[in-house]
Amino acid sequence: MTKEPPAAVWLLACGNSDRRDDGAALLATRGLSASQCGQLDIDDLLGAPAGVPIVICDAAAGVAPGLVVTKTFDELLANPRGPSPHSSHALPIDQVIGVARALSGEPIDGVFVGIGGADFGFGCGLSPAVEAALPQFRAAIEGLV
Amino acid sequence: MTHGMPHDQVHDGAPREHIFDVGMLTRVEGEGSLTLRVRDGAVVQAQLGIFEAPRYFERLVVGRTPDEVIDIVARICGICPVAYQMSAVHAFEALFKVQVDPQVRALRRLFYCGEWIESHALHIYLLHAPDFLGYPSAIELARDHRAVVERALAMKRTGNALVARLGARPIHPLTVRVGGWSRIPTRKELQALRPALDEALATAQATVDFVTTLTAPEFKREPRLVSLRHPDEYPMNEGRIVSTDGLDIAIDSWRDAFAEDQVAWSNALQARTHAGEVYLLGPSSRVTLNAARLHPLAAEALARTGLAEQIRVNPYWSIAARAVELVHATAEAIDIIDGYTAPSRAYAPWQPRAGATGWATEAPRGLLFHHYEIDERGLVARAQIVPPTSQNQAAIEADLTAFAPSVLALPHAEATLRLEQLIRSYDPCISCATHFLDLRIEPADR
Repeated sequence: MTKEPPAAVWLLACGNSDRRDDGAALLATRGLSASQCGQLDIDDLLGAPAGVPIVICDAAAGVAPGLVVTKTFDELLANPRGPSPHSSHALPIDQVIGVARALSGEPIDGVFVGIGGADFGFGCGLSPAVEAALPQFRAAIEGLV
Repeated sequence: MTHGMPHDQVHDGAPREHIFDVGMLTRVEGEGSLTLRVRDGAVVQAQLGIFEAPRYFERLVVGRTPDEVIDIVARICGICPVAYQMSAVHAFEALFKVQVDPQVRALRRLFYCGEWIESHALHIYLLHAPDFLGYPSAIELARDHRAVVERALAMKRTGNALVARLGARPIHPLTVRVGGWSRIPTRKELQALRPALDEALATAQATVDFVTTLTAPEFKREPRLVSLRHPDEYPMNEGRIVSTDGLDIAIDSWRDAFAEDQVAWSNALQARTHAGEVYLLGPSSRVTLNAARLHPLAAEALARTGLAEQIRVNPYWSIAARAVELVHATAEAIDIIDGYTAPSRAYAPWQPRAGATGWATEAPRGLLFHHYEIDERGLVARAQIVPPTSQNQAAIEADLTAFAPSVLALPHAEATLRLEQLIRSYDPCISCATHFLDLRIEPADR
């Protein structure tokens, strides 16, 4: 029996495909080995294999529609008001990362890859700007995994 | 954290004006802001702005079958989807005169217990406790009090596991349907949750002891509190709508006492009594109006805090009400599981019929009212969904108006922070509040 090599990165694809551009990361990571999490939670980071870098991809707020941005966890923590995942649930990403780091016995490090969204309303399908930029979004993710 | 733009304005001979402006409230669910204008010690403007976009759910459910509606409304919120499903399913069953099995009914309370546990644990420890302990966020709290945050996450996992066991997944569950469930769990499946719930109950008791060590800002007002009340049990899915000033109406009659209206500064409708008075929902209201119906372990926990009166008059002590409800929800969940025998059928048969129906249930943040009109084809013709945060908005603004003068002597940044902390006491769920359909745009010269 062949043993699978350890993963080089732990890929987390966040979002909701029923909320238009919020589903961008789920589409961009199709075919990749990714864990899907609707809303990024502390447990999603604590569940990553020890010592493996984490890549979080999600539609981003505070970014022009279709623009792909990459931020290290340290950069997100240093500037919580910068680009961040669109998910608006209670704990912002800097606090999710910060709490996970405080609780984990292992270093938690990685990168956030986001794409600016235009429409987060109810429904399927991406806005034209995000649809057009999806290949760049996927390329940015593939470049890290 | 505060991200406001503090500025005091002083003009020769003009009144001194303080403007507290928090452009983006943090540690609340959704996107909102606060603007408070104080002139000569008096609040002249208090606006809890909700700028998260309208989401049109009341229109989205039109033309849908009742079971489709139950699935759609769960999407309104990732934290309290069970509440939306419970208000909808009970409204439909009332109109269709569906008699559900007692065990089906018990499973619905168990479902709600799971949601209360996960929502309250998140709010107490990660959103609210940092304010009491002087931390700017949960990060610093986790660094200094690792065990506290770990028990919060463990509680939240237990709540999620309960919802996932019954609803097939922890967020936006799938199995609620008119008449019962699309799938019911076996006794063995529920018993598997007992060890985690036993641990959760011990943690909930410790949570009550933890919150009693906190010091809350002094603030006293005489609020109008509203919740459901059931003759025999702590309110979740049934009862009557009651208030601290004597209201007592049927569960489907919310419109007889209250109405929604739009204000210019918010994308969420606000609700008031027909007399224009504000009122408050949520854990403090439930505990105050239903203390005699708490689980014995929760009643003992409430007595241990000695905070029953503070819970009624001081919104900061909502953290104690949530802790008491954590005990209630975990203890009741254990009782339901221990008494569970799987019903002979997962759901009762039913036939749609035309008519109007309404129902309210108790979401973690308070009373959630749904009203539907069903046409001759059995499809929704009109819907009204009134979440607790919409109803609480006007009361929050009134409390800010009353509280602001007490912090005017503080440095501006600290005063602004204290005001933001007050808002967090109500655990507003802003995403829920922006579900509505009608957006009225009025000319600027009116």
